[in-house]
Amino acid sequence: MADEPMMPLDESIAGEQVAEVNLPATANPNSPYAWPKERRILSTRVNRIDGPVKVSGRAKYSYDMKRPGMLYGRILRSPHPHARITALDLGPALKMPGVKAAVPIAKVGGKLMYVGDEVAAVAAVTEDQARDAARAIKVEYEILPFLANVEQALQPEAPPVFEGGNVKASQTEEEGSITAGFAAAAHIVEQTYNTQVQTHVSLETHGCMCEWEGEKLTAWVSTQAVHGTREGFATSLGIPQANVRVITEHMGGGFGSKFGPDVQGIACARLAKEAKAPVQLMLDRREEHLAAGNRPSAYAKIKAGVSADGMLTAFEAESWGTGGAGASSGFPLPYIYTFPNRRRVHKDVYINAGQQRAMRAPGHPQGCFITEMLMDELADRVKMDPIEFRIRNLPPQAPNAMWREYFKIGASKFGWDKRHATGDPTPGPIKRGMGCAANRWGGGGRGTQAQCEILPDGGVVVRCGTQDLGVGTRTLIAVIAAETLGLQVKDIKVELGDSNYPFSGGSGGSTTAPAVSPAIRVTVSKVLQELATRVAPAIGVAAADITASGGRVHSKTTPGKGLSWADACKRLQTTPVSVNAGWEPGLSASGSSGVQFAEVSVDIETGIAKVDRILCVQDCGLIVNQLTAESQCIGGMVMGVGYALYEDRILDRNTAMQVNPNMEWYLVPGMSDIPKIDIMLMNQPERGVIGIGEPPTISTAAAIANAVANAIGVRVRSIPLTPQKVLTALEGERAGGTQ
Amino acid sequence: MAHPVPESRLVSPDVHCAHLRHKGMYVLTTPDPGEQKHAGTWDATAYWCTQTQKAMGPDGSAANAACCVAGNGRGCCH
Repeated sequence: MADEPMMPLDESIAGEQVAEVNLPATANPNSPYAWPKERRILSTRVNRIDGPVKVSGRAKYSYDMKRPGMLYGRILRSPHPHARITALDLGPALKMPGVKAAVPIAKVGGKLMYVGDEVAAVAAVTEDQARDAARAIKVEYEILPFLANVEQALQPEAPPVFEGGNVKASQTEEEGSITAGFAAAAHIVEQTYNTQVQTHVSLETHGCMCEWEGEKLTAWVSTQAVHGTREGFATSLGIPQANVRVITEHMGGGFGSKFGPDVQGIACARLAKEAKAPVQLMLDRREEHLAAGNRPSAYAKIKAGVSADGMLTAFEAESWGTGGAGASSGFPLPYIYTFPNRRRVHKDVYINAGQQRAMRAPGHPQGCFITEMLMDELADRVKMDPIEFRIRNLPPQAPNAMWREYFKIGASKFGWDKRHATGDPTPGPIKRGMGCAANRWGGGGRGTQAQCEILPDGGVVVRCGTQDLGVGTRTLIAVIAAETLGLQVKDIKVELGDSNYPFSGGSGGSTTAPAVSPAIRVTVSKVLQELATRVAPAIGVAAADITASGGRVHSKTTPGKGLSWADACKRLQTTPVSVNAGWEPGLSASGSSGVQFAEVSVDIETGIAKVDRILCVQDCGLIVNQLTAESQCIGGMVMGVGYALYEDRILDRNTAMQVNPNMEWYLVPGMSDIPKIDIMLMNQPERGVIGIGEPPTISTAAAIANAVANAIGVRVRSIPLTPQKVLTALEGERAGGTQ
Repeated sequence: MAHPVPESRLVSPDVHCAHLRHKGMYVLTTPDPGEQKHAGTWDATAYWCTQTQKAMGPDGSAANAACCVAGNGRGCCH
């Protein structure tokens, strides 16, 4: 459920809308468009149809777009973490060589809330000219007090930087009796855990190319929502939506951070309007880190109880985190496991840093890491195997809650029986260990519409206003159309990533596959019915008796009666058949579950941890394309490795400037850091299609952190698990200071 | 063919400023029946204002579902 999962429903707002989408967790086998029981292409491994253009460099991303007479845009950003603009003069920039336009973004008198906050933008003939011109803009600032980190913001004497306070506390969430829960506990663990701020690091940065033709705007945008971004441009610019076209032919990742035109998109459109020329404005890597979103940090001070027989009894937590300047930082806690008595209060802490945005499974990796670390600590207290302990305390098994089964299957596959107790007894500096963790996600989508044409020359074109973030959506559409029409994947032409195509929602919350797949299945089935109506007289059977398979259009009851696909389409003469249709319930569902296992090696002399292998056991309903589903798992786990070991947005405590706004010091996993990865995709065809974009990244860091503790015998309760933190924890253990 | 209905549970056109946005307003989801049972109450919503494209409105105050409502005295709300 993406970024708004668990707020109590306000009935006055939600009402019937929620009832409308309150769908069952399984597919409807009686749907007239039900997925075929015998799948010819579905659930097989199909290479990406756009693979050749990508690997040969011919695929045009927004970053690659070139238009005649185009200019380059650049943004001037605040060098201060908190300041008021007292004067802003674009004149010097407009006098610079090659400069064609300049627009203000912030207002005189307005406040800038973090280093990197946008001030103004310019467009020039070359990128260097645009950079020089941005530097020439004259700005006078009134420097204001600022907060560089959570610790500073929580100090009683902290300056009041944010209206309404630097800290916003949530309501206390409580269930059962904490007092009774702790009274029933044989052991109690009290610890504090934390996770860092992680940035999205999309390989293609945010940005776009904007071109006006009169009052009509065409924008090539790196976006997760072509239709949503069209609405965003129109609303912000005050122009009709019908005058805006947004195109995203190919895209280099977004991970939740690209859902509208953004500041740079609107600035780009304004610059293009003023310059009367196309303008491209793509952010650089530093701007990405500073101003294009991040995953909030998370802290939790927890007291938890367990009975002598290994049943969770009580959970009490005070949690906090920062989503930057005035943004929330919530996360689920406890995660998945059943504590019969619990109390939690959360505080959003505001600091002068770039604001958070939705990031691949918002909140879940934080909640998972904290809870799964705690689970291992509690299991150690009752001297129980971590998997046995988890199985005792998981919610009841259901199609969308299969953790018990997956832990057992995964443990067998992974060789969990070879896991030693906490602390590798092997002599020498290299210690090895195993850990595990669970995940859950919604992953249900709806609402997509599509168009399919069958052409007289036998061609098939499917158009859909969804977008392919790089995950294989284009191929998914071709697979479903080919399966439905009895053709090959290569026979299908897929057109997407254009707001002129039928509506589809944004690609977020793992909703694309479950929203798009049913729409394609329904639309293509209907266009086949239209074809059947046209060719039935030639075949000599009723249209209702016609189907397509093996490259033929033929009778269901007398398969010998039929035409080749090409001959059937020739019967259309000069007029194609075309159908617009959309998503229908019964072909997709919501609710996935998974578990992961990790094995690590830790050098206790250097503190360097290396992930040796990961096993992912994950379901996603009906697997449309085994290959791209596995790719999603691999990508999610690699991102999880970075979250566990490397990635950290570090702000200078004295200046609030990020000290690592690049890919040299903001570390992401390289090839040598990526472990052996095994994937067990659990096919649940009876449930229909469920999204898998997010769940595989949730539990990787938690499994790795638990494996590190199992290896070295000491818990490092903070990620990333840097060598310094590992060595500090080991030193503390030697001094008798940790448990 | 009916156009899909947005499902934001946080922002209502009857209550909130027309410029308030969050990702959930662009993503059409179906709820997981198990979600409520396993996750508890929490909120990680990232809001933005279409007038600024930022998490702050044109008046410099935060843009979110609690602030951007009718009768809040903010001149920027529509």
